[in-house]
Amino acid sequence: MTELERKIKAKIPGEDTGISIKKTMCDICTPLCHCGIDAYVKDGEVIKIEGTAGHPMNGGVLCTKGANNRAYIYREDRIKTPLRRTGERGGESFEPITWDEAYSEIAAKLLGTKRTYGANSVVFYSGYDKWYRFMLQRLAFDFGTINYGAESSTCFTANRMAWMTMTGKFARPDMPNAQLYLAWSSATHYSRFNVANNIDNFKRRGGKVIIVDPRITPAVQRCADLHLRVKPGTDGLLANCIAGLIIKKGLHDAEYIEKYVHGFEEYAQYVCSLDIAEVSRVTTVPQELIERAAEMIGTTKPMSVENSPGSLIHQTNGYQTARAVFALSVITGNYNNVGGNLPLDFTFCEQGAGFKTSDEQFAVETMPSGYENRVGAARFPVWGKLITQIQCTDLARQILEGEPYPLKCLVAHGMNYRMFPDSGYMRRAIEKLDFFVDIDLFMTDTARLADIVLPACSSFEREEFKVYPGGFARYYMPAIEPLGEARNDARIIQELCARLGIEDEYLLSGYRKCIEHVIEGCGVTVDELIAADAPVKVPNMMKFTPRGYIDHGCATPSGKLELYSELIASCGAGLEPLPKYYPPSARPSEEFPFILLTGVRVANVIHTRLHGVSWARALRPYPAADISPEDAERLGISAGDKICLYNEHGEIEVRANPTAAVAAGQVFMFHDYSEADVSRLLDRNALDAYSGFPGYKSAVCGIRKVEEGESV
Amino acid sequence: MKMKFNLDVEKCVACGACAVACMDQNDIDPAKGQTPYRRVGVLEPERGSGALRYLSIACMHCDDAPCIPACPVCCISKDERGMTVYDNTLCIGCRSCAMACPYGAPEYSENGRMNKCHGCTVRQQYGYAPACVQVCPTKALTLTPDEE
Repeated sequence: MTELERKIKAKIPGEDTGISIKKTMCDICTPLCHCGIDAYVKDGEVIKIEGTAGHPMNGGVLCTKGANNRAYIYREDRIKTPLRRTGERGGESFEPITWDEAYSEIAAKLLGTKRTYGANSVVFYSGYDKWYRFMLQRLAFDFGTINYGAESSTCFTANRMAWMTMTGKFARPDMPNAQLYLAWSSATHYSRFNVANNIDNFKRRGGKVIIVDPRITPAVQRCADLHLRVKPGTDGLLANCIAGLIIKKGLHDAEYIEKYVHGFEEYAQYVCSLDIAEVSRVTTVPQELIERAAEMIGTTKPMSVENSPGSLIHQTNGYQTARAVFALSVITGNYNNVGGNLPLDFTFCEQGAGFKTSDEQFAVETMPSGYENRVGAARFPVWGKLITQIQCTDLARQILEGEPYPLKCLVAHGMNYRMFPDSGYMRRAIEKLDFFVDIDLFMTDTARLADIVLPACSSFEREEFKVYPGGFARYYMPAIEPLGEARNDARIIQELCARLGIEDEYLLSGYRKCIEHVIEGCGVTVDELIAADAPVKVPNMMKFTPRGYIDHGCATPSGKLELYSELIASCGAGLEPLPKYYPPSARPSEEFPFILLTGVRVANVIHTRLHGVSWARALRPYPAADISPEDAERLGISAGDKICLYNEHGEIEVRANPTAAVAAGQVFMFHDYSEADVSRLLDRNALDAYSGFPGYKSAVCGIRKVEEGESV
Repeated sequence: MKMKFNLDVEKCVACGACAVACMDQNDIDPAKGQTPYRRVGVLEPERGSGALRYLSIACMHCDDAPCIPACPVCCISKDERGMTVYDNTLCIGCRSCAMACPYGAPEYSENGRMNKCHGCTVRQQYGYAPACVQVCPTKALTLTPDEE
């Protein structure tokens, strides 16, 4: 082998090898990450990737999911042309059509439906990613429908609602300046490695860590000074009990509470009434550990609290639980103080970076009247008051029942029906629609239900504006040409806008012009960002003053930090203004003795995106349920055995993965496998009455070993 | 200069990013039965309590590599960076190297020839870290000069 052949085989970049490095980004997981990627490109094709050195998010490394990018963007089921369905919904029969034909058909159908049933019968929806959402919501409103929604109505937004109810804004932990870090349910080593690394650094500089988690995670083993191994779904009771102990010992910040807090007396009366022995019994956390937690939280200042974007709030009592946890930051005077929890204004696409764009205003400024009638707003009144989108957990019901008004068409970017509890219910709803457009990279199970399928681009094939914490803005240019005839989501929105005859000068001028518009006043331009081809520090940063926000008056009905929520009180009977605990919807029984927790993060996959990528599959080849070694032994189950998870809603066959990370009586099952869809075991009506969030972790099931020759 | 791979087991979480980066670097296709040269695993504690342990393992590039004398056709050798490298064009698929290796590093492809971690030695030669080291999100896996 010649030296050049060795270099080409080893993929060494250079003129001689014809391999160049293009800077792009990963958008496989949460937009809270979106790490920088060096794409090694040869002859227009990505042949290898690496993390971008010096990038503010990932500094040269990548997580397991991100490392899969090359296999992900070249997945065999990438859609290369627009498609029209020619057979049954859910089948394989589609014919390629031109973009022009696709747009003509979509425009005719949407405008016809609008004439017959009204604009509100058309729903616009976004799954992952978020980068184009500010344009999509505006398009929906321009079209005249009040019904725009996103997957965020089951992810993270309930945390935002909990902070907003109490403080008027979202908040973030100020970990770099904290002395105590209270991590309430967090699988960061397998979800956001940068947070895990932050916790490691925090520990190294002497910070104390409390982790509340039913499992033994790497973070628990390495970082926790105190681990409260709580029974899933009882976290709210634990948080309220800790608050009661802090108040009874006089460790709360009376001066701060007097000045800034609304409803402390009612709250204190409630939390102080909780009996620690009873709380210990229900939560399974030993009494002395609850007392030690209260002592640490009450005496170690400053303390910052973090709750993962989607775990507590996936209980049917999740919103009240999140409020109970965040209240600990308020009663100890940590909220809006250095090292505590800081009010967070999103910069762009629900990512905080310390400066302000106008994307949220851009998205809603053409909002039609009658917005209070959007899907789910009446059923979930707290959602209705706080979030300017539909609550998608009510979408299937309204499609199927047609009440209070019919829904006929759905235009969706990256929809995944399996994410909804009782996934067959959403599937049936989609099947009932007159017209369904799905825009996706891949021919997914949901795309197969569509009348028209449009091929979207991966992050490697498009330009995109991103912001990063620390005040960074970045404008990525494409690393490669779009695959086949794929077009990026923003371009599809722009072109659809034109075909629908909507006169919106911004949307019609395209993505880059829209970005130029929303970043006006930031002190940096798109051209400057493109020229830099790297993250740029934005000059016009927002200033932080300790207690500045609460001194000025919070954006709550009382203008104070509300432990007693006037917003909830105004929603009428049945909802509780204090963050009171109530048990999750389902509890283990003799018939279904296990708590079933779905969607807890594992390293190699996220949602549906990597199930079809062979590299990711190689790490965990089968859908597998994590169960405790004690339960496995009792049931005669060994690692890798086929087991059946069942309850009154259905059953699925998976492999057993006994692990000491899991406590007895609990089952952790990852979601979205076509061949073992755990959402089928979830009750579609087990929803949080405040946020509308599904009880992804509030289910129960039984386990039995699948005997040889048997099929489930 | 002689180099060595190190794994800090206090930092590794067996996330598998190293294995995926290895597959990306070496165009490994699990759908064809191929396996990455680096693998990860979680070691469960013996009965009841005790810590879970996390590992990432590949060819250890042993100083006195037993696979080298085991190979009857002299495919395997050490290079100037101390990596145990190979040229499998001569490989007869006899699996003697696999039997000699205490770590189970050698694998055999569809055509019966041996493959294993080559330490990304060409990348090292041109100033790049091995793919698995480069990607490691907890920085558990490192490549450092072998001081001995």
